[in-house]
Amino acid sequence: MTSRGTPSRFLRSVLQNGVGRYVCQLKRISIIFSKKAQSSLGIRDFIEEGVVDYAKKNPGTVVYVSPQSCRIPKIVAEYLNGNVREELVTNKTAPQISELLTKLTDQSGLDIIRIRKPFHTDNPSIQGQWHPFTNRPPTIGPIRPQKQDAP
Amino acid sequence: MVFLSLSCWIRSRGPDRYWKVQEVLKHARHFRGRRNRCYSLAVRAVRRAFVYATKSRRIKKRNMRTLWITRIAAASREHGMKYPALMHNLTKSSVQLNRHVISDLAITEPRTFLSLANLARARQQEGFRAALGDGKEPPGVFSRVVFLQ
Amino acid sequence: MSSFSRSAQQWATFARSWFVIDARMQPPGKIASMCSIRLQGKHKPIYHAISDCGDHVVVINTKEIAFSGNKWEQKVYSSHTGYPGGFKQVTAAQLHHKDPKAIMKLAVYGMLPKNLQRRTMMQRLHIFADDELPEDIQANLTEELPQPRKIPRKLSEYTQEEIDAFPRLWTPPQDYKMK
Repeated sequence: MTSRGTPSRFLRSVLQNGVGRYVCQLKRISIIFSKKAQSSLGIRDFIEEGVVDYAKKNPGTVVYVSPQSCRIPKIVAEYLNGNVREELVTNKTAPQISELLTKLTDQSGLDIIRIRKPFHTDNPSIQGQWHPFTNRPPTIGPIRPQKQDAP
Repeated sequence: MVFLSLSCWIRSRGPDRYWKVQEVLKHARHFRGRRNRCYSLAVRAVRRAFVYATKSRRIKKRNMRTLWITRIAAASREHGMKYPALMHNLTKSSVQLNRHVISDLAITEPRTFLSLANLARARQQEGFRAALGDGKEPPGVFSRVVFLQ
Repeated sequence: MSSFSRSAQQWATFARSWFVIDARMQPPGKIASMCSIRLQGKHKPIYHAISDCGDHVVVINTKEIAFSGNKWEQKVYSSHTGYPGGFKQVTAAQLHHKDPKAIMKLAVYGMLPKNLQRRTMMQRLHIFADDELPEDIQANLTEELPQPRKIPRKLSEYTQEEIDAFPRLWTPPQDYKMK
């Protein structure tokens, strides 16, 4: 994997989320499954047991449960910034799906790609960044350098 | 998520060779010329690029350290010190900042860097002051002889 | 936080300064190394090779540079025109007589890194044979750099008191004849 060939971004958070208040970035979640298929067995279990609890616990998230005649059950998560993530949950058990849902809920919705620097600050400088006149004595600032007075 | 059995269920995904070629071309799409679309050229270029990328992961650390040293040298020259003298005397004063942090300080917090330079200068001239002066600390600098074992 | 706004801070950090160096009685190599550091921007803590943070340098009085030793006669500047028999060699004295800026320019050009930025940096070097500066350059100057070498004084520039006060190793006898 080369650094140019892979997408990358800088570390950032969504509107300082978590500093003072926290807004869940997961806006909408739709669980698409089949009523009959064997591969949807785990997610049917999860809907029986945990989905109501999940919806109660996360009032900021809309949960759609849509039975369709599909072979591959999946969870489609939509985030506040417009990103849509699709997770396939074929042959997963109910606890695994619950774990997956928790993970999707906690994510910020930003792309999961290489992060160039593991640190970031909004205010890099307290004392004011260096500039050419930082360490120059202030007396010679306004004075035009005179060439004739050179020793 | 790795999903291995999905491809078995789809009826026809095209020939295997197509997918093998795509796996290589995926890494070559940003290359210049025909190397970003012709497999036989791309496969060699991608291999070379991966070799370079592997080597560069080590070289990057070396280059970054060189850059920090250049920056610290420039900043210490502004205060009338040389880079080796600055680093040596900071080490002797038990200032355990690495070059990354010192160069960042020189850019973003110039006054902190100035005080570091003053400390190093005081440490450098400690012997002279003990021999020639009245043994007083210079104003504004608090340092102490540290014996490193 | 600094008192600047962010864009003003950015402009201040990457502002270009104009340095002036007086090359009167100075060795060209030392002047050139000072120039090359400032043209590359290696005197700034924000230095990066690709960030183009070099400054302008004005060199004046290049007519009066001083080579040490026998360099005026024995230092040779070679060039080739590309044609058969086109190999030219001139000594430093001949070159300096032809163009008083050339030695300074070649010295700086040789000290800059050999990459595509070199011509750009050379454009920020302003060389003047004497101490007359145009108005627009005069208006830009921000700092004068100290000369690397202390200019030696001639005997004629010393006053009589200083000559008399100079300590003597040996006092000539009364009947000594000066050659």
